[in-house]
Amino acid sequence: MTQTHEAGAWLRREGAALRRPLRRAAALSVLQALALVAQAWLLAWILNAALFAHATLPACVPALLALLLLAPLRLAAQLSARRVAHAAALGWSAAIRTRLLERTRALGPLGLRAAASGELITRLVDGVDALLPYAARYLPQTLTAALVPLLLVAAVFPADWISGLILLFTAPLIPLFMSLVGSAAERASRQRYAELSRLGAAFIDALSGLTTLRELGAAEGVAAQLADDGEGYRRATMQVLRVAFLSALVLEFFATVSIAVVAVLIGFRLLWHELTFRDGLFVLLLAPEFYAPLRALGALRHARMDALAAAAPMAALEQAPLHSPPLAGGTAPVPDAAPQVSLVGLRYAPVGRGPVLDGLDLELPAGRVTVLVGATGAGKSSLLNLLLGFAAPQHGHVRIDGAELTTLDPDAWRARIAWVPQQAHVFAGTLADNLRLARPQAERADLDAVAIEVGLAAALTRLPRGWDTVLGEHGEGLSGGELQRLALARVLLRRDARVLLLDEPTAHLDADSARRIVEVLRAAARGRTVLWIAHRLDAALVADRVAVLHGGRIVECAPPADLLRAGGAFAALHAAEYAS
Amino acid sequence: MSASPAPLRRLLGLLRAQQAWLWAGLALALLAALGAAGLMATSGGFIAAMALAGASGAAINYFTPAALIRGFAILRSGGRYAERLATHEATLRALADLRVWLFTRLIPLAPARLAALRSAELFARLRADIDALEHVYLAVLVPTGVAAVITLLTFAVTLATLPWAALPLLALAVLAGVALPAWTRRRGAADAVATVNEAAQQRDLLMDALRGHADLLALGADGALRRRIDALTRQLDARRARLDRLQGLGQAAAGMAAQGAVLALLLLGLPALAAHALAPPLLVMLVLLTLALFEVLTPLPEALAQWQGTLTAAGRVFALADMPPAIVEPAHSAPMTLPPAIRFEGVRLRYADAASWALDGIDLELAPGARLAVVGPSGAGKSSLIGALLKFHPVQQGRIAFGGQPLDALRGEDVRARIAVVAQRTHLFNRSLLDNLLLARPDADTAAIERAVHRARLDAFVAQLPQGYDTVLGEGGARVSGGEARRIVIARALLKDAPVLLLDEPTEGLDAITARDLCTALAEAARGRSLLLITHRLAGLEHLVDEVAVLEAGCVARRVPASAYRATLAQGDPAR
Repeated sequence: MTQTHEAGAWLRREGAALRRPLRRAAALSVLQALALVAQAWLLAWILNAALFAHATLPACVPALLALLLLAPLRLAAQLSARRVAHAAALGWSAAIRTRLLERTRALGPLGLRAAASGELITRLVDGVDALLPYAARYLPQTLTAALVPLLLVAAVFPADWISGLILLFTAPLIPLFMSLVGSAAERASRQRYAELSRLGAAFIDALSGLTTLRELGAAEGVAAQLADDGEGYRRATMQVLRVAFLSALVLEFFATVSIAVVAVLIGFRLLWHELTFRDGLFVLLLAPEFYAPLRALGALRHARMDALAAAAPMAALEQAPLHSPPLAGGTAPVPDAAPQVSLVGLRYAPVGRGPVLDGLDLELPAGRVTVLVGATGAGKSSLLNLLLGFAAPQHGHVRIDGAELTTLDPDAWRARIAWVPQQAHVFAGTLADNLRLARPQAERADLDAVAIEVGLAAALTRLPRGWDTVLGEHGEGLSGGELQRLALARVLLRRDARVLLLDEPTAHLDADSARRIVEVLRAAARGRTVLWIAHRLDAALVADRVAVLHGGRIVECAPPADLLRAGGAFAALHAAEYAS
Repeated sequence: MSASPAPLRRLLGLLRAQQAWLWAGLALALLAALGAAGLMATSGGFIAAMALAGASGAAINYFTPAALIRGFAILRSGGRYAERLATHEATLRALADLRVWLFTRLIPLAPARLAALRSAELFARLRADIDALEHVYLAVLVPTGVAAVITLLTFAVTLATLPWAALPLLALAVLAGVALPAWTRRRGAADAVATVNEAAQQRDLLMDALRGHADLLALGADGALRRRIDALTRQLDARRARLDRLQGLGQAAAGMAAQGAVLALLLLGLPALAAHALAPPLLVMLVLLTLALFEVLTPLPEALAQWQGTLTAAGRVFALADMPPAIVEPAHSAPMTLPPAIRFEGVRLRYADAASWALDGIDLELAPGARLAVVGPSGAGKSSLIGALLKFHPVQQGRIAFGGQPLDALRGEDVRARIAVVAQRTHLFNRSLLDNLLLARPDADTAAIERAVHRARLDAFVAQLPQGYDTVLGEGGARVSGGEARRIVIARALLKDAPVLLLDEPTEGLDAITARDLCTALAEAARGRSLLLITHRLAGLEHLVDEVAVLEAGCVARRVPASAYRATLAQGDPAR
């Protein structure tokens, strides 16, 4: 509930930016309503003249002409109100989309991962679209529903104050009754809405795991369960709706009964000469228009529900603390040659967790290969993230050729780095698109060359469309090893890089391929400063230096042969690896 | 445009099961609309008659019209309430049907046919089913049905009272209810269709920007992607603005038609009044009835502008559901001998006609109780071997026998029921640990579950979970570590109690020490079963198997006893 509360507050705050165009749209709606009043009066006048003054058609021509001319005015006002609101809403939702991306940038990759799970990201992306109907239709309608009935009642009063009073008294009753019946119903229907999203998520979850379900022979069972869930949801929802729609019924009832009462009262007062037919008809024509904006608002309520649901993850993302923000704001130029990198007294704790690095000191000599080993979860990847400037350490320094990393231009620094992440993201697009991200100007021949080097050529002949194969989300169409080779190919394409950060580059590869890749990477490492995380120790044995990470700090750091001789932590790992 | 009726017909076909509710919704909507039109028309006629009676001093029966007004008022408000309940009942029922239908259609498509779809894309397509359903039924079919009836009614009333006005009125109603919707549909088609496709594209790009943020920053491609998103957004927003303008225009044009109809009534009605050919209250009634009629017609041009987009979205859902499964299953499985022997004979498999062979003449045999490792470099065809054995991918040449029967004669689910899989990449569902385990055997009792958990060495993990077996594992098992996830999968496989255990890279991605701990659980799982271990790296797993088949470029290069293979390992050549 607090989440919907925050979402509501967020929507109100954001909606404030729309105030001015919404006012213009409201002014146009008022203009439209004025034309409507004039038309109703003209129509009443014409019929009155025909019925009681026995006016002929020619006598009515001026009034008919006026009626005809008012129509385009009214419709033009209506059309421009709609356009103003829609254009503003489009700009508004585009701005929110841009801000979402800005926020992503401010949080950095690690902050984003901590703030938004994969499912939340899906909801964020789909959510922006849900904001459009809210801003383009619901918000303008709230103003229209507040202003137009007032205007109409003001027009009714001079013609017939009794009908005016009926309208005036029923109008505030409507929101009152609606909120009495509606607040409970709204709470309940919010729950139903949450339930519906949960059902949708369960459906998607079942779909993403469909292969696993088939392996387990559980797919049909889950289908039956989905049917049961859907049925249960329908029954519970209909129970809620029976009550929720009562608020709509209240509105309908008041609207309808007031029209009926107005009509009947007018009829009798006409019979008793207490009212002219012109005024009576005029009031009758306006009575349904009086309730129409409120009814339209009721029909748009789901747009508000959608927007609230969409706002929740946005509010959460914007309120996520900038725990250890990524590198930003530095301007100093980055050295052209392979730099010396010094890590001094680093302490880093991810959001909501204890420190994974605590008092870490490590020197990466320029142009040399340093291999980092340590148990799963020891913080090796965190160290690479700090070097990439994806997060800032809470304590300590990262120095590049003696200059603080924070003073360097982050984009220029990252342009000097080639990185193999643990799991490379596969972008929407073809295999070639995915490689060209690393080097947009790469020619087909360059791609072919790196494909041969990293052993991607076999995959290219297997895929029916070669480089133009469109890849699925987790790189479906490629095996785990081929995805790894894709990440390696990206690294080889980054020829300007002077620093290589390799996070288990030979994972998912068989021993033979791994050995070939180690060779390719050693060639690529020449003249570059390399930090290489390895599970398997083949790479470590040929490194210039090996550092062992344990308990948040480097416990050993020396050439591998020395470490093996010394018989410490690295020697123990080596023994475990080659035990069999 | 020629493709458009197909998805509509499909959608209506799917809705047939709920047609009682759908018709009820339409009927109630009609009642409510009749109530609304009747209320206004009667009220207009009534006040005119009362005013005339007042002017002439004649007696008048005001009970009947007053009662009619009350009746119509109840019909309108009660009808609207009942209509909303019925249409919601209908759409909720249809939605539940649609979801299950779609899921059932997708089951045989995984994984062979769904592999190339991104989940964002899948999600977007599935959401479109709801929108299509609501749009087609609530925004188009119901209002069209209502408008048709009210139009005919107004036509009949006019024909009886002011015959000369009947045809112009009908013409204007057809303009607002048929010609204008047809125009907005045609004018909007290109933008509506492109909006559906570009919105999907935009979603993909945004997803990439968020999920691939780290890679983008490191590759310096962050700005370029943003610019692409901005350009696409501008294009999309221009389309949306154009569509909205078209909808507004359609609405305004229908409004003009309404004004035209009122004007026509007055132009023809006033002379008729003067000639005493028309009772005066009837003219007032006709004017108000006409206004009520156009109230129903006006939303139609607006709704139809989206029509082609809606059908495109629905068509995308159907295109997904209509993909032919990769494998045609027999009606019944032939009887197999259990425990099953597995035999591959000259099996060749490729994923497209133009592609090279992923399996190129595999010969392999796994007798009941045998323990075999298939070892090969990445790309040698290991995943294809698994896909072929589990009947996920068809084999183009050669044959696979399972329990003495060719795989073609067996239903896939019967084959898979006999194989427990522990895969490197497996899905943990965002449900409780217990639910995740029970998927393997829904009727397992507590004792069986605890036995499986114990044998998978998962007890300690369960003991430290805050809610034990009821702990929800998080999306994709986000709340468990890699080693724990692997153990859960092993426990699941143990619970399944199948005669064949298939291990697919069971220790990949785990560090040496975690992997070694896992091996005990794996050995336990393999006891008393045939074991097929598929890996690119046997190190640490040799003792699980008796024999090793080396896979190279889609065929078995040689088979050696595990002991001999271990000996070559000891010589420092771990691949051979």
